[in-house]
Amino acid sequence: MTTVDNYISEASFDEVFDQNKTIRSHWSAIITHLEKAGFDGIESYQSQINWHLEDNGVTYNIYDTPEGIEGRRWSLDPIPFVITQEEWSDVAKGLRQRAKLLDMILRDLYGAQNLLKDNIIPAEIIFGHQGFSAELHSMGIQDNFHLYFYAADMARGPDGKMWVISDRAQAPSGLGYAIENRLTINAISQELFPGIGARKISGFIEEFKNLLKRLSHQESAASALLTPGSHNETYFEHALLSSFLEIHLVTGNDLLSKNGAIWLKSLGGLKRITTLLRRVDDRFCDPLELRSDSRLGVAGLVDVMRHGGITMINPIGSAALENIGLNPFMESICRYFLNEELLLPQIATWWCGQQKELDFVLENLDRLIIKKINPESLSQAYFGKNLSYEALQDLKEQLIQNPHQYVAQEEISFSTTPYYANRHIEPRNAVIRGFSLRKEDDYVVMDGGLVRVSAAKDAFLVSSKEGGTSKDLWVLGEPDKSDASNILKYTPYTDTSIRNVPTQKAENLYWLGRYVARSIITARLVRYVLKKKINLYRDEETLSQAYQEILQNALTHLTMTYPGFLRNDEEEPIDAILEIISVIKDTDRTGSLSFTISLLTNSHINVKSLLAIESWRFFDKMHKEWQNCIYQSGKLNSAFLIDGLDTLLIHLMAYKELIEESMFKEQGLIVFNIGHKIESALLLISKTRSFLCFKLDKSVGSDVLEGILNSCESYNSYRAQYKSALRLKNVIEFLIFNTQFPKSLIYLANEILEDFKTLPKSKSHLASYEEPIFRAYALLRLADVHALIQIAEEEATYCQLDQILSQLFKLFSAGAEEFSKTYFSHTDE
Amino acid sequence: MIYEIYHKTLFRYQNLVTFSHNISRLKPRQSNSQQLLSFTMETEPESFEESEFVDQFGNTNTHLLIRKSHHSLVVTGKSKVRIYPEVIEAQIAQIKSNSMTYREALARLSSFEYGDLEAKQFLFASERIPKGSKQIQTYALASFHPDRDLFEAGYEFMERIFEDFKFVSGFSDVTTPIEEIFEAKQGVCQDFAQFAISALRAIGLPARYMSGYIETVPTDGKEKLFGADASHAWFALYIPRAGWISFDPTNNMIPKEHHVLLGYGRDYRDVAPLKGVIFGSGTSKLSVMVDMRRAD
Repeated sequence: MTTVDNYISEASFDEVFDQNKTIRSHWSAIITHLEKAGFDGIESYQSQINWHLEDNGVTYNIYDTPEGIEGRRWSLDPIPFVITQEEWSDVAKGLRQRAKLLDMILRDLYGAQNLLKDNIIPAEIIFGHQGFSAELHSMGIQDNFHLYFYAADMARGPDGKMWVISDRAQAPSGLGYAIENRLTINAISQELFPGIGARKISGFIEEFKNLLKRLSHQESAASALLTPGSHNETYFEHALLSSFLEIHLVTGNDLLSKNGAIWLKSLGGLKRITTLLRRVDDRFCDPLELRSDSRLGVAGLVDVMRHGGITMINPIGSAALENIGLNPFMESICRYFLNEELLLPQIATWWCGQQKELDFVLENLDRLIIKKINPESLSQAYFGKNLSYEALQDLKEQLIQNPHQYVAQEEISFSTTPYYANRHIEPRNAVIRGFSLRKEDDYVVMDGGLVRVSAAKDAFLVSSKEGGTSKDLWVLGEPDKSDASNILKYTPYTDTSIRNVPTQKAENLYWLGRYVARSIITARLVRYVLKKKINLYRDEETLSQAYQEILQNALTHLTMTYPGFLRNDEEEPIDAILEIISVIKDTDRTGSLSFTISLLTNSHINVKSLLAIESWRFFDKMHKEWQNCIYQSGKLNSAFLIDGLDTLLIHLMAYKELIEESMFKEQGLIVFNIGHKIESALLLISKTRSFLCFKLDKSVGSDVLEGILNSCESYNSYRAQYKSALRLKNVIEFLIFNTQFPKSLIYLANEILEDFKTLPKSKSHLASYEEPIFRAYALLRLADVHALIQIAEEEATYCQLDQILSQLFKLFSAGAEEFSKTYFSHTDE
Repeated sequence: MIYEIYHKTLFRYQNLVTFSHNISRLKPRQSNSQQLLSFTMETEPESFEESEFVDQFGNTNTHLLIRKSHHSLVVTGKSKVRIYPEVIEAQIAQIKSNSMTYREALARLSSFEYGDLEAKQFLFASERIPKGSKQIQTYALASFHPDRDLFEAGYEFMERIFEDFKFVSGFSDVTTPIEEIFEAKQGVCQDFAQFAISALRAIGLPARYMSGYIETVPTDGKEKLFGADASHAWFALYIPRAGWISFDPTNNMIPKEHHVLLGYGRDYRDVAPLKGVIFGSGTSKLSVMVDMRRAD
């Protein structure tokens, strides 16, 4: 039995077989190769594809799913959608015409509005559509107000022609996925389909880069891709696309507007951005003039457009083109503007705002599909034939009440194409997304595209959000000789200069450094305290009351989970184990380990695009295991928690290593390091104050000394250095003043000062953020350890030690604060 | 008649703000019946950047960028406006004579008419004013019979709101839904205007939100206190062929010599005197002080 024997399509048109069940000639080679590979072969190629996609971390996040931000894997069918070059050049011609037309509509609607004045389009279709942003009025005449990047969804109609189904004009998505599909299929196509040539898509990416360069006056660093952020459903694609196009990947918070221009906040200061490829929807682009509740935009962006200070791809307001109500008028618009006939057919559409059309629609409701021009979701449609009598009456009432808001369309049977699923090949509907770019006064169309396949055999609605899979689009023909195929490589794009690291990214890296340090140090201490409490060290003596208190108080101080163990005598005593577990597990409790991990997770997500993919995967694993551990330790099994803490610590250390290994200092690693060191210094001071500032009995004393060394993982290095019994003076010297020991405070202070020197705002004299750290360093150098541990008989604390530690804490904090202010706020520039 | 208007808007922030973008709309519009004799605007702290633009409805907006650290932002507009009551009277007379029936208006609005294009911007639900419910439509249709003259119907509609709704301050704020106002039959001038607009649009007629000032007369011949006034709002109805006619349902009158128009739009959002976006966290509170008095 061969692979396509059971392939029976009931559609009026099938891509592969004509009406006589003969294979169309441009498919014959593909089918022959599929036959040759057999199901075993195809299955193995499918798993190769899956492996490649997973390896690259291709995700498609879907809102409101249990998978949440972890995203869902993108899937790709091994069988491409093939189309002949002759046919594609006709389609491309039609797409170019449509792009030109939509560009003219866009400029007219935000300009003279002749389409309305000359009664080509009823005004109600425009004014009643939420995509029309009146705030942009009269900007359509500007030279840089164009539909630069346009995509159309198409499917083959019963007449065998490609029909346009809908237009994507705001911020078309899918190009990154189309590239990813091509790169993935390249890995198997030479084996599965040897000798079949497809047009390359890299030329289109070159065109895109050229467009960006032209728009930003040959300065490619002045372009950026504006993403809603890593929580967005297609964030992976934004990261991918920005790297292919070699432009910054930014969120609204990375940018600010002033002087009639848009500026990127970076460590070196403010940098002008002149072209913005945006993936943020129109109304979210500017909280000042558009949706005031948007956190994704840039306040003042519309005003910058008004002053011509930025070119938007595409201009805010282009959602006006994503209006199905325009469909019935496209023919007239085409004649009006171009004096041509529309090349690509569309589905017959009736706008109900006209009496004649409304009457027709009401008459034929049971065989039409009804859609709103302002749909609540893209796939929202009412199929008349599927509605009950009551539902039909309701719909009629709606149509009569709000006729302007509705269109009706003919139901069309679109073509089917072979799709591989679980060892058989079946016919499925497919939608092709074609992409085009503005070039001079015309458009260029990509020789390829993104094909999405319906989720089930008989489902026509195709949406990535509702499941389904994708295909690569092959335009058969000789690859263009001039193509440089190596331009399609995924490497996170950044300028290799610390000056150009976006501020927000730097700030996130800085906090990532701090949270990594805080997580590690907190996990260590809490693990130590818990182990002591349940005597996992199998000490012969029971834990003394005094030492218990020191440990517990240290935990509260370090995590700042006040009041914690620091309660008045009048207050009710708390169960120590319960409190420790709460400090570990309670995500809602500020300062707890889980709370810190969740802060860490946020920072991680925010810098994801800078990190290597292996660290994404590693982080996910760590996060999952820690969540599991917390979830499963519900029965208060302390030993189980300690295991979990061990694993967490190993993961955290490895994660830190991965970051340090995979990033250049100039990409921002230096900021991560500074954050890590500042946090380490602050927590070391806190621990030292809690552990070492109290005068204790000899017996307890050595426990405490051992304790602080252990909780710093420094016991062995101490023994190597001093080889003697534990003495307070030595331990203080070791942890605070030892210039050779990398974990000591003075060592950290020195390293922070060295790191500071490599930053863009460092000068010959001390900067405001350097000064406090320099003072701390001097204080440490000048201190006399002997004097610090002098104590009078009647005193209970080492006052001088406590005093200097408190001073040091303030200095490090001040340094951290000044550092943030200098590099992250941009208020004075 | 000449008025001097003092309009102070103040944002008070919970936290220190170092960077804020704002848009103020304090400059009154000009028309045949209203002449702007002078206008000045001051900000405290001083703005880093200031630029004017005219919005899609013809209102003057000022974009202000503040870059000084501040806990509050004060924007004060001072204007001198001359009103020509005789022009208003002539306009009203003209509209009355050109008015048409509700049925005629609906027929004309559903076809193409060059002169109606601009008005069709005000035919649809806007961000702040959703389309009125069936109940609200029924309420409006009690005045708008098919063969009734639109001017008369509009006038009666205004009178009914004045009769049926109680002026109660403190019941609502700018975010109170219109259905709630209709349910409770109370609110302030802004609520009445937005309710009327919602109802008129729901029955297929274009309606504008009008923002401005009204002269108040102190009771018992006492000296009027400075700043005791408030900003005011009313609505305008579009009568095809005739034009826009304003109605003030709070005071049951057609605005004439006691009203000064600041600006108009689809709803409050289009004409809010001051709005802003701050960088940083914390809440903000807006307060307003208005004074309007005769200069002659």
